[in-house]
Amino acid sequence: MDLRSFFKIDFLNSFVIFAIAVFSILIILYSTKFMKGMARLRGYYLWVIITGLAAMATASADNLIVLLVFWGFLGLSLYILIGMGGDKASPAAKKAFIIVGGSDALMILGIGLVYTLSGTFNISEIRLELNNYLGITAFICFAVAALAKAGLMPFHSWIPDCAEVAPIPVTAFLPASLDKLLGIYLLARLTLNLFVTTTAINIIIMLMGAFTIIAAVMMALVQHDMKRLLGYHAVSQVGYMVLGIGTGNPIGIAGGMFHMLNNVIYKSCLFLTSGNVEYRMKTTELDKLGGLAKLMPITYISCLIASLSISGIPPFNGFASKWMIYQGVITQFSAASLAMRVTGVVCLLIAMFGSALTLASFMKLIHATYLGQQKNNQSVREVSWTMWLPCVILAVFCVLFGVFAMQLPLRFLILPILGGVDFMGTWYSGLATGLILIALGFGWLLIRIIGSKQKVREDSMFAGGEFITTEENRVSGTEFYNTVKDYGLLPQIYKEAGAGDFDIYEQGKKLLFGASVKLRHLHNGVLPTYMVWCLLGAIILFLWCVR
Amino acid sequence: MYLSPLLFIALPLAAAFFTVLLGVRLRVLGYILASVSAITLLLASLYASYFVQHLPSHIFIYKVGGWMPPLGITLVFDALSTIMLVVVNLISLMAGLYSLRYIERYTDSWKFYSLFLLMIAGLNGVIISGDLFNLYVFLEVASLSAYALVAFGTEAQDLEASFKYAVMGALASLLILLGIAFLYSYVSTLNMAEIAFVLSGKPQGLLVYFVIMLFLAGFGLKAAMVPFHAWLPDAHPSAPAPISAMLSGVVIKTLGVYVLARIIFNVFGMSQKALLVLMVLGTLSMVVGALMAITQRDIKRMLAYSSISQMGYILFALGIGTPLAVIGALFHLINHAVAKSLLFFNSGAVEYSTHTRDMDSLGGLNKRMPVTAATSFIGSLSIAGLPPLAGFWSKLLIIIAAVQAGHLAMALVAVIVSIITLVYYLKFQNQTFFGALRGTLDKVKEAPLSMNIAAVILALICVGAGLLLVPSMRPILERAADVLMLGSGYKDVVMGGVR
Repeated sequence: MDLRSFFKIDFLNSFVIFAIAVFSILIILYSTKFMKGMARLRGYYLWVIITGLAAMATASADNLIVLLVFWGFLGLSLYILIGMGGDKASPAAKKAFIIVGGSDALMILGIGLVYTLSGTFNISEIRLELNNYLGITAFICFAVAALAKAGLMPFHSWIPDCAEVAPIPVTAFLPASLDKLLGIYLLARLTLNLFVTTTAINIIIMLMGAFTIIAAVMMALVQHDMKRLLGYHAVSQVGYMVLGIGTGNPIGIAGGMFHMLNNVIYKSCLFLTSGNVEYRMKTTELDKLGGLAKLMPITYISCLIASLSISGIPPFNGFASKWMIYQGVITQFSAASLAMRVTGVVCLLIAMFGSALTLASFMKLIHATYLGQQKNNQSVREVSWTMWLPCVILAVFCVLFGVFAMQLPLRFLILPILGGVDFMGTWYSGLATGLILIALGFGWLLIRIIGSKQKVREDSMFAGGEFITTEENRVSGTEFYNTVKDYGLLPQIYKEAGAGDFDIYEQGKKLLFGASVKLRHLHNGVLPTYMVWCLLGAIILFLWCVR
Repeated sequence: MYLSPLLFIALPLAAAFFTVLLGVRLRVLGYILASVSAITLLLASLYASYFVQHLPSHIFIYKVGGWMPPLGITLVFDALSTIMLVVVNLISLMAGLYSLRYIERYTDSWKFYSLFLLMIAGLNGVIISGDLFNLYVFLEVASLSAYALVAFGTEAQDLEASFKYAVMGALASLLILLGIAFLYSYVSTLNMAEIAFVLSGKPQGLLVYFVIMLFLAGFGLKAAMVPFHAWLPDAHPSAPAPISAMLSGVVIKTLGVYVLARIIFNVFGMSQKALLVLMVLGTLSMVVGALMAITQRDIKRMLAYSSISQMGYILFALGIGTPLAVIGALFHLINHAVAKSLLFFNSGAVEYSTHTRDMDSLGGLNKRMPVTAATSFIGSLSIAGLPPLAGFWSKLLIIIAAVQAGHLAMALVAVIVSIITLVYYLKFQNQTFFGALRGTLDKVKEAPLSMNIAAVILALICVGAGLLLVPSMRPILERAADVLMLGSGYKDVVMGGVR
């Protein structure tokens, strides 16, 4: 038995492994300050390192069993690392472990089916047609495991919960980085290697992706806790990646993979900056924040860049990958089947609208945290370099991967996976960046010229015979989009979402406990009842045996 | 073999006898005798296993008193029975070690030890006896001592549980004895190999099916197969913790699954109808046990329902009847024995330190009982099937075997039940060991050392047992499964071994 036969490095997983290594180092660097003084600190670092290694092993596995072992083990490390958030984190840890671990159990079934159909566990030797129900069941099992890890709806509900209570480095590390990388990696493996997808499957995947984009971003709009808001965006962005991979054409898949990488960069950056804010302000409630831009400039700039990135503003990296995904979807307009063409149009509209809403919700976040009026927080300082450096590195990557998208990430990391990719038209990111910079400079000049002519007088507010302080009357920004809750059918939907009606975990719990209570009525502890069961059982057995 | 196979029965019987005789005066004697015989038996069973593995025929028949069957009694050592001996004696050694401090809470510890030794004698006897009547006698020995041990606390609920257990156990014994009688009337022999030989020459009439039904119901009762399971959730929690560990860990497996497998596979030559019954009732057990477990508040009661559910997996895998499935079943049997004994030890430790087993009034114990918390976490995850712990591998084998055999729907049920298993074990972990420490539990101390040692050893086995699947170790399981897969070919092997 040669251990080397269990692992294989190719273009698809090498960049995933590289990304895992980079993020592990950044997170450890960040944790040195942030986690200082926490109990069981040695255990924390040990688990971070183990998790990183297990994730690399997962990505490089060429054997389904090896993949499953490390993949399942990551569920445990997720549970333990979220649990580091203290006593209040343990329900969220449990929820995450049950959703992720449960979907891993389905993977066992998938592996059994694949083995039965193909007779091997070696990933590189398997290529199954999805033309029978066994193959389709196997695909669904694997896909559920991949999507639950990445956090696609309806398997997403653990991510916002976890983002809210887990330590920030953990959220940035697992749900925002590693789980996305691995989940989308597995989905790409499934569609590129293990299975030959059909149009119907592609349509379903694309629709799930599109639905997630819009539904999660709608939830993000109305959040008032920064970490929970980011948690919903972590879900929403998965939608784009899944949409890209679901198109099944090279540019869409390349876009999905690229978006995965970009998302990990800007989303970790966002989580880490929110960690900086929490470290200084001891809260992430948007209501209680404001005016931090001047006090924590490095954090502010990093967060701003990452926010623009996630909203898909050129020239940042989020735009580059989203544009590729859109191209992938647009390619489907000329697909053979009508259903696919319709799906393409619908998905493109949803994805673009989702992008706009993302921008809107980040305007709220930026305003409420960094701009807006201050509360009493003059004493707040910038965080130490171990905490801002990872944010800055990630922000720089956001810019680099956007401006030099073609020259750096695509050329070295993404395009080798697929061989050749045809782009629609040409996007000169360097030229565009230049134009954007010129435009910005021009605008700045304009404001200086016009602005200098106007005289603005600042004064205290005075109403009803009293001075009103900004403290009482400030616009925190939290309520920016609360009006969407009153629009059309949405109030009902938001109410149900708040009550957990769309949460697969809550619904499953309700179902199980209901069944359990029913069964408990049967187990009434009365001996004669039990004897009757035995007797009935024996009679039925006998009738069956003599049949 | 260089040691008399009678040792497995005679040693614990003699130890029990002397404990009863002298234990009242010499309180420490019971413990000494129990530990000495448990250690000896574990070593002897390891030796027997090693010995049988290295015989060319992988079978060793001991003729008691030198009498040839069918006149004499035979004791059969093959790959399957020796592996069962190792499991039983390992768990009983651990339970013995655990009892050292645990049993101090009860009066008359010598009664405990003598019953405990009797139970071991009965279990060993069931495993190695080669004929049905001796099997029945030892089964009764083990069962009767189990009834008494369940009632050992003599609280009202212990007595009630013991009564239920005794009544339903008696029903089981009745069905089994009836089956043996009918079978004897048909084949005129009690030796299992001879029965298989005679049956293969006779038509499988209605009587044979009736006997199979009696055995399925009788041993199904012992194995807590749904719908014959109702005694278990009462009996197992009421017993002292080491006995709960024995009952859930090995008694239901030896008296139920092992014997059932022997009879259905080797005596009746893998009767397809019986296998289908095992598969269907196994699936039902999985589901019912798991669903009942999630709403339990008492730790031991939850563990008891979980035993029903996990026994379902074993029965289901046996019912599939392919070599891979049988390996999976045996492996799951071993893993579950270890993990569930461990968890009962942990529940005993929690009860020892906090005087309660109610999950709702516990919480945050990992800050006060780190060893118990860590070992129970490993045990829970092993049963829930988390890689790379032992329970994962056996579950993987079972599910793959089920898919290969084309039982996709049941494989799906097995997967879903494994998710539910994760749910209730995490609930147990979160409510007992994680979260905020309750004020009332502030002064709780870790359990005594001997109890922790037993738990740690079992936890290490849970972590490492997956190694049984590496190629150099795999033959141990494969040969045990081969014994069952021989079907009625077993008779030829035994008869070859006799001469």
